Amino acid sequence: MNDKAQLYTLEGLMAAVLITLTVLAVAQSSVVIIPQTDNFLEVQMKQKINDALVILDVTPDTTMEYNLTECVASWNTSTEASYGKDQLLALDKQLAIMLPDLMYNVEFAYVENSSVVVKNTVFNGAPTENSITANRLVALSNATVNSYGGTWMIPDDELKVIEVRLTAWHV
Amino acid sequence: MARIIENDQGQWILLSGLVVAIALVFLVTLMNNATVTGYHSSNNALEFPKDDIRDLVSQSRDATSQAVHIAHQINQSSNQTIPDITTSIIEDFSRQTSLLYASHGQTVAISVSNITTNNSTSAFGDIVWLNISYNDGNTFYSSEPEIVEVSV
Repeated sequence: MNDKAQLYTLEGLMAAVLITLTVLAVAQSSVVIIPQTDNFLEVQMKQKINDALVILDVTPDTTMEYNLTECVASWNTSTEASYGKDQLLALDKQLAIMLPDLMYNVEFAYVENSSVVVKNTVFNGAPTENSITANRLVALSNATVNSYGGTWMIPDDELKVIEVRLTAWHV
Repeated sequence: MARIIENDQGQWILLSGLVVAIALVFLVTLMNNATVTGYHSSNNALEFPKDDIRDLVSQSRDATSQAVHIAHQINQSSNQTIPDITTSIIEDFSRQTSLLYASHGQTVAISVSNITTNNSTSAFGDIVWLNISYNDGNTFYSSEPEIVEVSV
């Protein structure tokens, strides 16, 4: 039996094991990179749509044509948007400028008779599965609704809380 | 076996092989850690509900301010006190907000712990102490008290 070069054989074996381990580790980490990139896009989109809602909400109505409170207060509560038939053109117009490369829907959620009612106000189609939703609360008083000519029925000693839900997705 | 142990040739080759192997393992571990850390940090940015918490606090403050103004208006034509009317409006605001947040799996509670009213000649407005708490199962936030000063 030839017992020469046993250390070389051992070294070759170890090298093979090391290469296999390295390839496995690299392959595993590339699997992790994919959701990370996806997450990065989602984080960016969430930040963008949240910022859009905050800007619309905190800007005084004298600075921009319609701010969020004005849009919500002036909404006709008996209507609901469907594809190609928006019920809040003012809000849609502002969002189209702020989110030029995204598709979005806007829903209003509010409490009526102790249950949550959700209505579409801007509808651009069914969201894809990678869509992101941002929420913003708006509290309306009767005086605010009257000044913007809306149809919300709010008693004088109450506030109506409306949650604006902006769902956006990449096309 | 005895011959392998006794053979002391090529030690530099063996040593450099060992160094390269250790360096390779170290680099791969480092690379894996970097990607895993990147994944978790970007995922946490999505999961941490900073916008929900900010919105809850800012809208609670805004609603409190509106409630105090409404309370002052009603108080002029009613015998209800300003703190009673303000508390009632904020309780209703809290009920609606809780239901809306519950519809996407979050628990919130807003309550009034104290109210002081000042007359119109005072330099300070009315002061409302709110207790605000938020919980989405992963993140718990509470601001107790959240002091809101409203100039009337």
